[in-house]
Amino acid sequence: MRTNYRVNAGVRFEVFSRDQLEELFNGVLHVMDKIGLDVHHEEARNILADAGAHVEDKRVRIPTHLVKRALATAPRSFTIYARDGNPAHDIQIGPGRAHFGPGPTPPNFIDVETLERRPYVRDDARIVATVVDALPNIDFCESLGTISDVPTDLAAAYEFATMFPRTTKPIVAWSFGWDDSNDIHQIAITEAGGQEAFERRPNYIHYCEPLSPLVSTFEAVDKVIFAARHAVPVIFTTCALAGGTAPVTPAGIIIQTTAESFMGLVLSQIIRPGLPFFTGGVLSVMDMSAMILSYGAPELSLMMAGVTELAHYCGLPLWQTGGCTDSKCLDEQASLEGSLSVFFSALSGGDLCHDVGYTESGMTGSILQTVMMDDAIGYSRRITRGIEVTPDTLAVDVIRDVGPDGHYLYHDHTMQHFKTEFWYPNLCDRHNYEEWAAEGKQTMRARVIDRTREILATHNPSPVRPETAEAITAIMAAAENRVKNKP
Amino acid sequence: MSEILKRMSSAVIQGQRDDTRQMARDAIEGGCSAEEVLYQGLMPGMDHVSGEFKAGRMFVPEVMRSARAMLNAMEVIKPIMVKNGIRMAGKVVLGTVQGDLHDIGKNLVGMMCEGAGFEIHDLGADVAPGQFVEAVKAFQPDIVGMSALLTTTMRAMEGTVQALVEAGVRDRVKVMIGGAPVTQAFADRIGVDGYAPDAAAAADKAKHLIAASR
Repeated sequence: MRTNYRVNAGVRFEVFSRDQLEELFNGVLHVMDKIGLDVHHEEARNILADAGAHVEDKRVRIPTHLVKRALATAPRSFTIYARDGNPAHDIQIGPGRAHFGPGPTPPNFIDVETLERRPYVRDDARIVATVVDALPNIDFCESLGTISDVPTDLAAAYEFATMFPRTTKPIVAWSFGWDDSNDIHQIAITEAGGQEAFERRPNYIHYCEPLSPLVSTFEAVDKVIFAARHAVPVIFTTCALAGGTAPVTPAGIIIQTTAESFMGLVLSQIIRPGLPFFTGGVLSVMDMSAMILSYGAPELSLMMAGVTELAHYCGLPLWQTGGCTDSKCLDEQASLEGSLSVFFSALSGGDLCHDVGYTESGMTGSILQTVMMDDAIGYSRRITRGIEVTPDTLAVDVIRDVGPDGHYLYHDHTMQHFKTEFWYPNLCDRHNYEEWAAEGKQTMRARVIDRTREILATHNPSPVRPETAEAITAIMAAAENRVKNKP
Repeated sequence: MSEILKRMSSAVIQGQRDDTRQMARDAIEGGCSAEEVLYQGLMPGMDHVSGEFKAGRMFVPEVMRSARAMLNAMEVIKPIMVKNGIRMAGKVVLGTVQGDLHDIGKNLVGMMCEGAGFEIHDLGADVAPGQFVEAVKAFQPDIVGMSALLTTTMRAMEGTVQALVEAGVRDRVKVMIGGAPVTQAFADRIGVDGYAPDAAAAADKAKHLIAASR
């Protein structure tokens, strides 16, 4: 039997059977068609109604054929490009590829020097982008905070303007509305060489967050319309609390959040068929004692794995969640919760896994957590890469060569494979006791902090083009004037 | 007489929402005073619930049912207490501020305050400053509570305080704020009376503010 002999299947696990996926998908279609969602955006309601949706006041019901048409036009595989043309920083979305990055908008940040929690400031966006650019297993960039020391309305635009020159890894941007979405887009297309060039090689993704249960807020919808009209790959997902803003059961929250995403899917595909679209979100439990959305709960990983399977069943890429924790500092809890959720996210193959570096249940961003998780992601990726089975890797001839009582150290086969078959950590220590003691008995925590500071002291990201640097200055000056003159 | 009050306590603890109204009626008909129903029946039950919640042995959905069980009984005894001129725990007007539809946190605050014996007038989400002003005039609350999840909508808290000042009702109420981006420093800056980091702390803070003002 030599069927599939050369197929490298990787390591997979499954949450659902095919029958169960059909049940879930039918649940989503039922919610969209029979229950409907409230869409707080008149223009969007008109667009949807013209396409055949049933609109009654704010409530919009989407017939199944519209959902299926949107699923048929939205791509499963596409590329988000590094702004400087470095293919190593491109993100290729497609089956079996899990990518990782930080998350948006916590109010607080762990100061890299003092290690204390404090409000997030503009310079933190520089820190996060620089470190993200240097980490080998982080693929995209988000800021881990909302900038508090610029005019409130410009927090998102300043964040993008600060991060964009400091990393060539694609940024997942967020914004408050149309105006700052446009600020961000102008910066990105200047670097790309204009709108047309951007459409051929999109260099960022836009994130929009509607509300659970079943509400498409004005801002989220306005932004998805902006993204569709400007060909920006888009994420339209909720943060749902099982038992609070969504059903307490994993199957129920998966149905509801997918329906919430699908409203954005349908709208975006009507405006621009073929626009890259991510479904998904943050699915976790509302802790019924602490009253928080838990970012360290096992249910988060399980629900995220389930919603990933449903997305892939529907032929869509997914906005995953992992590498996050409810811990308040860089400790054993942060390591445990972050690593396990990273591993499950990698196993599920969710396409973009965000919130790597979220601590304190999403209240505080920590680039230290991101740096620690970089090792956990490397570890996980070695496992999900699986075991290649070929005549060469089966190594029967090598076993014959070496024979009983020999050794493999000097064999060509070892030389040929040891660097690719083995993964080496950057932070986890494997030295013997004496060496470890001689180096000052450093803990993981200390190594994480040292590495972060070292990256900041030494890493120089590839710069933006001079015209982009000028454009950033001009765009932000105009934005300042806009908010100053705002009533 | 103490038998029915004891049963009422345990009905509150067990969250028997449909039973407490009738129990309160029976207690009053059986000769209990409204105050006895409240302080020897309902409140001991609710105090137990809040102790169990703080100890991590009872959970939000259970506390909500207990609070509802108590409120249903309150409907029966409140008119009597008002007639007798007995002061209630206090009234709270609650809402998520203008431009913000996030209301799960605000709902939790409402539940915890109900559990603490407050009467809640929940204005919902996306509440304009004018609606807060109208509610203050209509309901005569002791406390106005505002919630926001976004840094942009958080600014509406300041506008709402301003509207209360302009309407000449700011001095009649204590103002409390909360929500993910909200801090004590922000509360101090916009001149409100209280901030709480979570729903349980909000109920405690509300009790504290009322006690201090009376």
